[in-house]
Amino acid sequence: MSEKTYVGKSIPKLDAREKACGQAVYAADIQLPGMLYGKIVRCWDHAHAKVLKLDLSAAAKVPGVIKVLGPEDVTQKRYNTGVLDVMVPEEVGQLLGDIEDQRIFTDHVRHQGDAICGIIAESEEIAEIAAGKVKVLYEPLPVYLSAEESSRPDAFQFDERKPGNRAFQLPEQMFPGNAYGWGDVDVEMAKADLIVEETFYLPKVKQCQMEPHAYVAHYDQTGRLNCWTSTQMPKCVQPKLARLFEMPISRINLVSTTIGGGFGARLGMVFEPETCAMALAVPGRPVKVQSSREEDWVASESRHPGKYWVKLGVRKDGTPVAMDAHFTTNAGAYFTHASGVAFTAGSWMTGLYKFGSIRYKGDTYYTNQAPSGAFRGYGNPQTNFALEQIVDRACSELNIDPVEWRKKWHKGVGDDGWCMGVPYSSCALDECLERGAEAIGWEEKRARYASQSGTKRRGVGVGVMTHTSGAMPMLLEHTTCTVKMNEDTSVVITLSCSDLGQGAHTVLKQIAADTLCIPMDEIHIHVNMDSAGFDIGSHASRTTYVGGGAVIKACEDVKRQLIERASIRLGVPEQALEIKDQQVVSRNDPEKILSVKDICRSGVYNFTNPETGETNGVPGQIQGYASHFPAHNSPPFGACFSEVEIDIETGEVKVLELVIAHDIGRAINPMAVEGQLEGGAQQALGMVLTEETSYDKVGLCRNNGFTDYKMFGAADMPKFTTILVEQPDPVAPFGMKSVGEAGPVNPVGATANAISHALGITFTEAPITPERVLQALQDQKVA
Amino acid sequence: MRTKMITLCVNGRDHRFEAPVNRTLLQALRDDLKLTETKYGCGTGECGGCTVLMDGKDSICSCLTLAVEAEGRHITTVGGMTQDGELHPIQIAFIEEGAIQCGYCTPGMIMRTASILANNPTPSEEEIRRGLDGNLCRCTGYEKIVQAVQRASQMMDTTQIQKSGGMGQ
Repeated sequence: MSEKTYVGKSIPKLDAREKACGQAVYAADIQLPGMLYGKIVRCWDHAHAKVLKLDLSAAAKVPGVIKVLGPEDVTQKRYNTGVLDVMVPEEVGQLLGDIEDQRIFTDHVRHQGDAICGIIAESEEIAEIAAGKVKVLYEPLPVYLSAEESSRPDAFQFDERKPGNRAFQLPEQMFPGNAYGWGDVDVEMAKADLIVEETFYLPKVKQCQMEPHAYVAHYDQTGRLNCWTSTQMPKCVQPKLARLFEMPISRINLVSTTIGGGFGARLGMVFEPETCAMALAVPGRPVKVQSSREEDWVASESRHPGKYWVKLGVRKDGTPVAMDAHFTTNAGAYFTHASGVAFTAGSWMTGLYKFGSIRYKGDTYYTNQAPSGAFRGYGNPQTNFALEQIVDRACSELNIDPVEWRKKWHKGVGDDGWCMGVPYSSCALDECLERGAEAIGWEEKRARYASQSGTKRRGVGVGVMTHTSGAMPMLLEHTTCTVKMNEDTSVVITLSCSDLGQGAHTVLKQIAADTLCIPMDEIHIHVNMDSAGFDIGSHASRTTYVGGGAVIKACEDVKRQLIERASIRLGVPEQALEIKDQQVVSRNDPEKILSVKDICRSGVYNFTNPETGETNGVPGQIQGYASHFPAHNSPPFGACFSEVEIDIETGEVKVLELVIAHDIGRAINPMAVEGQLEGGAQQALGMVLTEETSYDKVGLCRNNGFTDYKMFGAADMPKFTTILVEQPDPVAPFGMKSVGEAGPVNPVGATANAISHALGITFTEAPITPERVLQALQDQKVA
Repeated sequence: MRTKMITLCVNGRDHRFEAPVNRTLLQALRDDLKLTETKYGCGTGECGGCTVLMDGKDSICSCLTLAVEAEGRHITTVGGMTQDGELHPIQIAFIEEGAIQCGYCTPGMIMRTASILANNPTPSEEEIRRGLDGNLCRCTGYEKIVQAVQRASQMMDTTQIQKSGGMGQ
């Protein structure tokens, strides 16, 4: 078998057949004997209120109700659904100021959908009926929907630990002046020939994973709390639940179900605390909690909306001498990822261009919106909307081609990466820009669309980005993997990496098959939280890169053991042996050969001759192991080109074509990579054109479902060209770089720039809806 | 709630059970018949995750259909597309084209595809896209789903579909 039989091939996902037959088991599909149904009762009528009186008596009397649980009936401990506490050392966590401010059931409703009590019943219907009989007396409190409102001195204080309702700002001890970057921005800005400045507004966008959050929990007869969950990060949720319920980690068992889409929606905990609290109240009986789409919408996290101010100073020749930026994000009602997104968003800016100087400030404020959290890209799509548009504005005023400007000023190999101090190991952005520009017909279209009349106006735009492959060294990066080789040389890989649907397990198996040189169908991936070692979870576009690195190391450990044993049996030094075609063979003497199967079989079926005392091989089953901490984060780059057509009578924007050229290093599974880019683009186009969770004046969500929240459908999507640029990264396993989180990033900037190209207007507010287009046209009197 | 004995013909088999009259077809399939391959995504007919085939041709949102309304009709779920372990060409096309990521929309997508092709065995790309527009997917950007429908259309014996008056059992 050649060395790369599987890596680089578009192999269908391992679980595709099961899914095509409807047999994949998602949490809501689980049926356990004696199972009860839990209903989280939420506040639907207020975005901010005190619960003065909670009367559960009528609900408890409904036949079939097993238990009703108020705030006092469950643990009083507070928690944070986010997982930063697991990922950084305690002292860093303290500097960042993450706090635990959520409760399982609360008497202080901080957003519509906050959980106030729980009902456990024999059926879902009974639980629903009982939920309708819960009587609550609320005292409404003032509602704040933006940072501007909640930061006013007289505003209600959400948390005494966070004065002024500022949940986060870059900590002074780490970043003097509460900013990071380099150079003296004030001095350099003064040297600019042109200064462009704008404030951009980002919408509250929902992950919209197709499977609404659902869980089963069971406090079993051995005293273990089992939770079936679609979390992206089982090994982080386990210690968090242990801490919340004051139980040892050994008594928390997480069972990963099939994940019906993640995109960050399942990063950390979601409704595991409520579900587990209910299970603890009925020992021995499993409890299932299925949330409705509306509940999922109002009670779980979203992308951080906010206000992004940017000021860019350039010389006449385009030299970007200074960038000043300030992102104020809206945390919503709880802390969750208040530090993470505001912190990280700027690094996608410092990492992208060679600014002469840059100063980034990030802060976050509490409001009465649903909590914000992690969403694929983690601040990068927000930055892309602001950064790529301000760059294009400067290019337009200086009459510089936006592609040429980017080619000249993007960072590359050896430059400081998104994480300062970690230089880029590779960069194929030039090739991405060149091939992308050619594919869309950049020069010809830029010229042709420069002067248009008529009711349909076209434009082309470009947007570039960089991201990361794992969060090293900012956050803990660790994956553990064991590779057990059976007596017939088939293999079981045990790890706890989650497959969100992106195909992580498929690519990990491809990597293992090529490392071990055995057929893929002789490898099984076993994901079990009891048997698998640590893995930080599926986030930060890390699973192929870090999980793959762990798989390679564990497979190499297997090979090392095979050679070690062959060396003993053949009497050949280890360094003279190699593994070829399932045989361990001497490089010097082809006669000295031993099959891998012989080694594996005799290791398991190891017999001792009673007369001679000799054995038929080296005893012990082969098992490779790796506890892998990657040495780098091999950031990918990418260039997206977007072509749009705008109807200036209706304001409607139609995206005609997207060309996405992605610096993948090496595509382990090209079909899966394309799927990530195409799917990511659907999310990006929604963010820039149609998607926004909106609230009325009293903070009630206007669109908590797909009826009034427009996600792109099949007919809305543009023509797609994906270009995988493969320049292997020198430090990455197999040269690979990430793609997952990159997907929804630069179609945002590219499409906004295309609209701007068509109309000559910079749209500062996303989504760029027909109403906003018409308003802008009216304001600017475009005819 | 008043209950009623209901007979549902699902994937060629009759199931008789007592259920409240307000039971949706989706609830009946998932909770009464334990056929969990049909998915709940929104409950309002917007996402298409619960799509099933009725009488081999029309796709419906089972979350918007009462179980009692489905009496006497032939319902096909994605579980009924496979016969004796043999995958239906639509299923094969979805697998091989990479049209499946998280898989949650897949049962509905496949049943919608069955309906599109039962009514129009050789749809244009535009007809496919318009046909799929009521089924949401957050993973794929639809590109590979559209390709899968095109491939399934090529793979299937169109005359067979027309003769049998539809798809499924």
